[in-house]
Amino acid sequence: MSDLKENLKAQIIEQLNLEDLTPADIQDDAPLFGDQGLGLDSIDALEFIVLLDANYGIKITDPNQGKEIFQSVNTLADYISKNQ
Amino acid sequence: MRVLAHSYVCPNGTFLNGKLIFDTKAEENPLKFTYQQLGTEYPKFYKMDVLSKMAFIGTELLLPFFPESLDTENDLQLLFANASSSQHTDNQFVDSYEKLHNPSPSLFVYTLPNIVTGELCIRYKWYGENCFFIEKQFNAKNYVEWAQMGFNKGNTLCLCGWIEAKTTGEQECFLFLLSPSRETQTSTETELSTLIKQYRNE
Repeated sequence: MSDLKENLKAQIIEQLNLEDLTPADIQDDAPLFGDQGLGLDSIDALEFIVLLDANYGIKITDPNQGKEIFQSVNTLADYISKNQ
Repeated sequence: MRVLAHSYVCPNGTFLNGKLIFDTKAEENPLKFTYQQLGTEYPKFYKMDVLSKMAFIGTELLLPFFPESLDTENDLQLLFANASSSQHTDNQFVDSYEKLHNPSPSLFVYTLPNIVTGELCIRYKWYGENCFFIEKQFNAKNYVEWAQMGFNKGNTLCLCGWIEAKTTGEQECFLFLLSPSRETQTSTETELSTLIKQYRNE
């Protein structure tokens, strides 16, 4: 699981062009969206959908699912490990 | 018209009213370093394009010079300009679909220069008028004339800036606050032209 989380952090940085950040800057349980954590927004949710499809073969068909899945690196990794 | 304060951000350093605040000559990532030195908590900074990052830093330094009584809906206008528009990010976006075959929404949103004004207005909850002009070079006369139009309509403060990121790598952000006063427009133009030359070491 820890390898998956580290890979996810690197992929998030690359996919979202967060070139100033390193994986160490992203906490496993920090909120990804909103004013806290990474401060991501709805555009970035699209990036996450692309990321999951391209890297893990997982398609998000229900947009409402995203709110729970994209909460943090922990929730993303958990969802991937259960659905890949 | 009077210049209340000015800031300058470039890869070598960040300046406030002519004084070096952060020396970034030796920094691998000058903008990240400067943001962290500011101690401001605004994670969206990391998502911004280079124009917005520089404007964010320059504005953070100018905030103490904003009048406390400022009505940000009616009193403040933003006037920015550059020569290269958002070409720096435009090229990155083209690369994302031509080379990586993965057009990036998060890059696409920055393929307009006036996104800078949007980022600042969101951050500080400013609701006044704003414009981002494309010009061949910094032209003090234009800023003064544009600002005066706003002052004639009742604005009391104008945040102006030349925010440039060339595809060749040169970057600079010269921000200045203008307020109405008895100084002549010509003397303000001369002051602004002199300031940017000093910052550029010309």
